[in-house]
Amino acid sequence: MKMNKEVPGRVHFTLMDAIRLGRGYIRRRLDRSLINIASISLGLSFYTTMVISDLLYSTSARMGGGQVAVESYQYWLVAVALVVSIVGITNAMLIAVYERYREIGTMKCLGALDRHIVLLFLVESFYQGLVGGLVGFSLGLASAIIITGFGAGFDIVLYAPRVSLLTIFVGSVSLAMALSMVATIYPAWRASQLNPVEALRYEL
Amino acid sequence: MSYDNVIELRDLQRYYKMGAETVKALDGVELEIQRGEYVSIVGPSGSGKTTLFNLVGGLDKPTKGSVFIDGVDISQLDAYELAWLRCRKIGYIFQSFNLIQVLTALENVSLPTVFAGTPHDEGLKKAEKLLDQVGLGERMHHRPTELSAGQQQRVAIARALANDPAIILADEPTGNLDLNTGMEIIDLLHGLNKMRGLTLVAATHDLKMIKASDRIVWMRDGMVERIERG
Repeated sequence: MKMNKEVPGRVHFTLMDAIRLGRGYIRRRLDRSLINIASISLGLSFYTTMVISDLLYSTSARMGGGQVAVESYQYWLVAVALVVSIVGITNAMLIAVYERYREIGTMKCLGALDRHIVLLFLVESFYQGLVGGLVGFSLGLASAIIITGFGAGFDIVLYAPRVSLLTIFVGSVSLAMALSMVATIYPAWRASQLNPVEALRYEL
Repeated sequence: MSYDNVIELRDLQRYYKMGAETVKALDGVELEIQRGEYVSIVGPSGSGKTTLFNLVGGLDKPTKGSVFIDGVDISQLDAYELAWLRCRKIGYIFQSFNLIQVLTALENVSLPTVFAGTPHDEGLKKAEKLLDQVGLGERMHHRPTELSAGQQQRVAIARALANDPAIILADEPTGNLDLNTGMEIIDLLHGLNKMRGLTLVAATHDLKMIKASDRIVWMRDGMVERIERG
């Protein structure tokens, strides 16, 4: 008889594993991801429209054009839009958790820890935030050019400081990823707390 | 010290609170299962089979008593050690297969090797080999929805073997299969038990499964009613 008493070791699940698996989830459940991407890009495009319009108006003013500015109440509207998109993502992610009840239970049977489940959901929301940010920035840039175009000329964007535009780009995409991940924290935590026994019994 | 008994249950109790009432799902089970044994757990629904399955699999904690796996009392393990036990020591097979729908057969089978820390390529190679062994070499890139029930259960069996566990726990593995497919799955499990020396514990109603086993444990009202040699 061989010795079989073994000290329990550790289970593994690296960021790379989570990324590989998370990408698969996004690709094969594209409809769910698209809802989240749409939600974040709509909220964000509103935000970038305001910020870029502001930049374009001030560029125009510096070049001797008329003084137009984004009203401060409009920033309140932006804040509301972003909150709405966070709530939308949280909601869609909670539904995703319910859809995956059994899968989460199964993964726990195969050795997943609570934090592995959280990591998997966060990786997905990171990618959704990234795509939503890129789409949202593009939409926002386009609508800012159109809105300011009538007053300041459609070519004003060419005179806007490149550094400022780049800063807005990086800021917006980071904001989108951050919001998407913040919105996912609660659903991901809920998913990770699932008891595998109950999760496996769950019928959708 | 060697552990001939790969599973030992000592005065195992699991109570559930249902409102004001306490339901005794398991009420003092004593059982020893030897390495390489094929044991069927049989009993009417509500007799405690599934509760026993969950406790032995480290999915649930006993109210009282102990589960020893390879001499380790698993109620003493923390969450990390328990995850490791589920990952490395035990392979689970379910009535409803519980494959991950968005993953292919190959990805499903290699998933446990991810948690075991096996390098990605090595895990895939191992999964290919296992799928070949269960007769699904041709369909490894199909997703569960593109496979028949019997094929899905084969994938689940391959997945259960991915980390070379000491124990295979099967909860009604033929419950969702027709007669012939069920027979094939029983043959496959029985073969694995004999060839690989795997310990196989199966909760079942299926007479053919019961007949193939070394020992039959009859459960009633959360207790072991009698044990028969197969």
